[in-house]
Amino acid sequence: MAEAVHPEAHGHAEHESTGVDSRKLGMWLFLSSEFLFFGALITNYLLYSNRTGFNIYPREVYDIPFTSVSSFVLLMSSLTMVLAHNAVARDDQPQARTWLFATAALGSVFLAGQVFEFTEFIVHYDMKLTTNPVASAFYVLTGFHGLHVAIGVFMLLSLWGISRFKGRLSEEKGMNVEMVGLYWHFVDIIWIVIFTVVYLIDAARV
Amino acid sequence: MASDSHHPQHPSISQYWKIAGLLAVLTAIEVSLFYIDDALELGALNVAMLLILAALKFVIVVGWYMHLRFERPMLNRFFAAGFILALGLYGVVLAAMGIVAIRGS
Amino acid sequence: MTDVAARPVTTIYRKPRSETGLWSWITTVDHKRIGTMYGYAAFFFFLLGGIEALLLRVHLAQANSEFLTAGAYNSLFTMHGTTMIFLFVMPASAAFFNYLLPLQLGARDVAFPRLNALSWWVFFFGAIFLYSSFIFGTAFAPMTPDGVTGNIPINGGPGAFDFLASSPNGGWFGYQPHAGPFYSTGTAMDYWSMGLQILGLASLISSVNFIVTVFNMRAKGMRLLRMPVFAWMTTVVAFLMLFSLPIIAVALFMATFDRQFGSTFFQATNGGDPILWQHLFWLFGHPEVYILILPAMGIVSEVIPTFSRKPLFGYSAVVFAGAAIAFLGFGVWAHHMFASGISPVAQAAFGLATMTIAVPTGIKIFNWLGTIWLGKIKFTTPMLFSIGFVAMFVIGGLSGVTHAVVPSDWQQTDTYYIVAHFHYVLFGGAIFGLFSGLYYWYPKLRGRMMNERLGKLHFWLMLIGMNLTFAPMHWLGLQGMVRRTWKYPEEAGLQTWNQVETVGAFIIALSILVFMYNWWRSKTHGEPSGLDPWDARTIEWMTPNPTPEYNFAVPPVVESLDDFWRRKYAEDEEGRAVRRPEADQVIAELEEIGNNPPQPIHLPNPSYFPFLVGLGITIISYGIIYHTTAWGKALIVGGALLTMASFIGWGIEPLEDEPEDHTPEHLEPAEAL
Ligand SMILES: [Cu+2]
Repeated sequence: MAEAVHPEAHGHAEHESTGVDSRKLGMWLFLSSEFLFFGALITNYLLYSNRTGFNIYPREVYDIPFTSVSSFVLLMSSLTMVLAHNAVARDDQPQARTWLFATAALGSVFLAGQVFEFTEFIVHYDMKLTTNPVASAFYVLTGFHGLHVAIGVFMLLSLWGISRFKGRLSEEKGMNVEMVGLYWHFVDIIWIVIFTVVYLIDAARV
Repeated sequence: MASDSHHPQHPSISQYWKIAGLLAVLTAIEVSLFYIDDALELGALNVAMLLILAALKFVIVVGWYMHLRFERPMLNRFFAAGFILALGLYGVVLAAMGIVAIRGS
Repeated sequence: MTDVAARPVTTIYRKPRSETGLWSWITTVDHKRIGTMYGYAAFFFFLLGGIEALLLRVHLAQANSEFLTAGAYNSLFTMHGTTMIFLFVMPASAAFFNYLLPLQLGARDVAFPRLNALSWWVFFFGAIFLYSSFIFGTAFAPMTPDGVTGNIPINGGPGAFDFLASSPNGGWFGYQPHAGPFYSTGTAMDYWSMGLQILGLASLISSVNFIVTVFNMRAKGMRLLRMPVFAWMTTVVAFLMLFSLPIIAVALFMATFDRQFGSTFFQATNGGDPILWQHLFWLFGHPEVYILILPAMGIVSEVIPTFSRKPLFGYSAVVFAGAAIAFLGFGVWAHHMFASGISPVAQAAFGLATMTIAVPTGIKIFNWLGTIWLGKIKFTTPMLFSIGFVAMFVIGGLSGVTHAVVPSDWQQTDTYYIVAHFHYVLFGGAIFGLFSGLYYWYPKLRGRMMNERLGKLHFWLMLIGMNLTFAPMHWLGLQGMVRRTWKYPEEAGLQTWNQVETVGAFIIALSILVFMYNWWRSKTHGEPSGLDPWDARTIEWMTPNPTPEYNFAVPPVVESLDDFWRRKYAEDEEGRAVRRPEADQVIAELEEIGNNPPQPIHLPNPSYFPFLVGLGITIISYGIIYHTTAWGKALIVGGALLTMASFIGWGIEPLEDEPEDHTPEHLEPAEAL
């Protein structure tokens, strides 16, 4: 039986040629390609941050305590995400909803922090997107990361909505929680790199 | 797929909390290193320590929260491929554009 | 998830599906239909790109020509290159990937049918977006001959066809800062950068889809090293796209930010570095040339063994050489930048690295020759095109090695010598390979054969035409004829060979007309092909022709490389192929079972969300170009809402649309073919 249905029975671990769920495999491949995406943006920042002669550099205006707190918030959202996934696996729907919502909330706090940071830089230090290439590189890098967080929040709230209004997150949706979770953690590790390389190390040179 | 995604050896809830505590501690060390450096002027050593701490956090999140430690090696390889490729290619770009050298001087 | 059977069945295969209306095409998730749409769209843009080329050739047939205005000339060479690369060769390859990959793996569809439809619709709208610049785009000359800057329309000046001048005009690699906000005013280059962004997204999505398909959708027994070479090249190309497209995405975003939002990444006047654009562009651009050529190499690797009636010589060497080309291809990008002032160390390193690529490429060439050697060769049309591929590609490959030699490259940069080189590898290579595939797999699409006489006429006309067109470019380039230049002086003595080239271009056009007639006529007049018209080797030929919607009525179980051949032929003591007595019986049974599935087959539901998401993304892109206006902002918001709503709809659409849900769980064991 299993032999005859094998080739088109994809979607089931026991039938997939590699034994890895197709969606999970696809998500890991996509995340792997994201390294090239964020790598180019970080390269762009490092290049201009190391060029001399600009009137203002982001490292001169960083508010490290503030960014440390918002980085911590994003880091902890990975904890709530993994707890949400765990709750779905245990079929504990109320818990899953709570943790999904908490993750989305922490992500939103991070985004709010970013909006505040951008506003500070623009209003108080007059460092705008158009000021010089290193400022452009900073805003585009952190902005695209923020866009990733925003998309993550959108997906988390969608899952929360499905659970809230369509009853429960089923096993297949459990796979979806895992997908969104992978994406969310990935956005977190990109921020771990940005926080260290773009904020701490760069600011240490001032 | 359910059997695939929920290995028995996945961390337990309490372990998840402990990992979060560890991540918090590492972040605290990072930020304090940054301030210690202001006083001690560690320079390259400071950069190295900060990078090691970031790498630790990176590995912990990928390995435990993203469960990559418990997945098949194939996923590890695909993920590492993108990471190593990005490091290599952009490293060469920065070197070719004279940035890596400028840093060293 | 053990209770699959308990879930409601929403789609049961209806034989044969009669919907042929427009709506069925818009909502289809069938990889064969998507492949067919890719194919027709690609061919349509091939014709447009060809017409652009013909206009350029007519213009260049005269020294000091004023057939085209300078603006129209700029737009035409830019759109010719952009079209042929992004709107013809890539989607034509995608057409083959889509149509053939599941068939060659023994699967019913790709891993994510709806994502596959999304790739197609994003491509489709992206292509329309790019070409809409001919209508909506604007281009202004940055500087008059008197040195006055300002918004002076490019319109006017000597020459005709000036209405074409409003489309992208910065060359297919959009060099900065020339393509930036100061030197390319107007919206033309915005259409280019945003258009390529959309097209890149389409390819990125399909790259994930194809890799997962290859790893997870193989039939029983189809080990990785039993896959047809074309499936392997699909995999390699998918990895190339996966890792190179994010780089160009960033570069294009940066260019867009420069143009739209006033950042200065590449604008040297404000401290930006245009060389960064070159690095990022060619980090993508060199892998891109393998994205263009490897699919054709895969096709050739299928056609040559079939018509030499021998297994591919050194199968694993061909596979690994393909992977090696891809890997090395990431490390050679700066050979496009030898003339840009990069350091001597970098020049030497990238020159050497580039030469190493000749090694795996040479391995492939010798493997194809080794396959033909002592084979019982049948000179059918697909075989002729494949042999033409090998010959022309060798010429283009050799001139390519001369660019790896830095001093000689300085001499060749931006001359017609370079143009000659990449037309030998892309026209003589990729396009010959693609036509070889079209003739070879046409029966799978129509159940009929294409006409061989017309096919051979097409081949010879195209071979003669392309050599007349592109060979003289070698010496014209070395004589100093620069590319992308509106006029060349009469005294330069370049006109005669330019006229030869123009004649050649029209011979190519004639050959394409022959092909189109053949394609159209064969649909009704072609000989019925039966299941195995070529005595083929690989398992995609184990389904009836035209391919049924469900592909395999009973999934195959694979025991070896070239599994279909194994079922038909045995080897005698001296290793020669001997047709098994039961071979005809095998084919007849495949035909019989293939047309009459013993069990109901569930196929994924159609979905209109991929179409809507593609539409939404394109609306956002229009909005970004006009973001300073109120209606531009409205387009961004509207497009974003449409995209998000469509994704939500996609998410809650019943999971029966997922590929897993056409599992025929009632299938009886038995009948392992
Ligand atoms: Cu190249």
